[in-house]
Amino acid sequence: MKDIIKKEQFYQFPISDIWKAISEQEEISKWFIQADFKAEVGYRYTFTYEQTKVTGEVLEADPVYNLVYTWVVGGTTTITTVRWSLKEQENGTMLTIEHSGFEGYPKESAVAMFSSSVQGWDAVCKELQHYLGEQ
Amino acid sequence: MPNKKRDNIFRAIADPTRREIFHMLVLASAALSINEIADHFPMSRQAITKHIKILNDVGLIDIVPKGRERYCYADPKPLKEIHDWVMYYEKFWENKLNLLDSYLKEKNKKGN
Repeated sequence: MKDIIKKEQFYQFPISDIWKAISEQEEISKWFIQADFKAEVGYRYTFTYEQTKVTGEVLEADPVYNLVYTWVVGGTTTITTVRWSLKEQENGTMLTIEHSGFEGYPKESAVAMFSSSVQGWDAVCKELQHYLGEQ
Repeated sequence: MPNKKRDNIFRAIADPTRREIFHMLVLASAALSINEIADHFPMSRQAITKHIKILNDVGLIDIVPKGRERYCYADPKPLKEIHDWVMYYEKFWENKLNLLDSYLKEKNKKGN
């Protein structure tokens, strides 16, 4: 287990299309999340996802390559960070998303917001053994 | 449990000896004394006590004194909660990156 999630995906579209999709609120709202957003450093955005609000501040906006903002789930105070990085490639764009800062979450016990199932002690131990085996 | 105790979990489990101590307690499913734990490692009881204290500070181990000994229990709850968050977001981002692809394809079709 790690404190960062990293995903990469290649898109057969120009880098400017990807940048628009992740940085303009009309576009963000269409595919990602209902958004009040501006790609300007210091802008305090609000995303609405089902019953949950996610808020944060834009830390970096470097068109068309980097967009970084904090990510705070409503009802919690843990500040995680989301980084979008774009790279031009032949015939398309490589998009990398990195989401970090999860270690703050346990003190909130906020996982209940997203996961309603309560697992027994056995399941917890099994999961842990699996995790420890992966190290 | 004070919030401070739950800080630095990742730093606590980054160390292989501490992972092993914690793993041992999870597998034992019972309390082990600090001496019992220390017997399994080729290092001083003092060094093991230090590692146990760090695990205790982040809430992964509970220490209960019994007579002259101190017994340790594993408490995986803090890790389980982080694990759930990470799993949730793994799926969340994967799903969103796929949605972005569908969105761009759809938009491109309309544009032509």
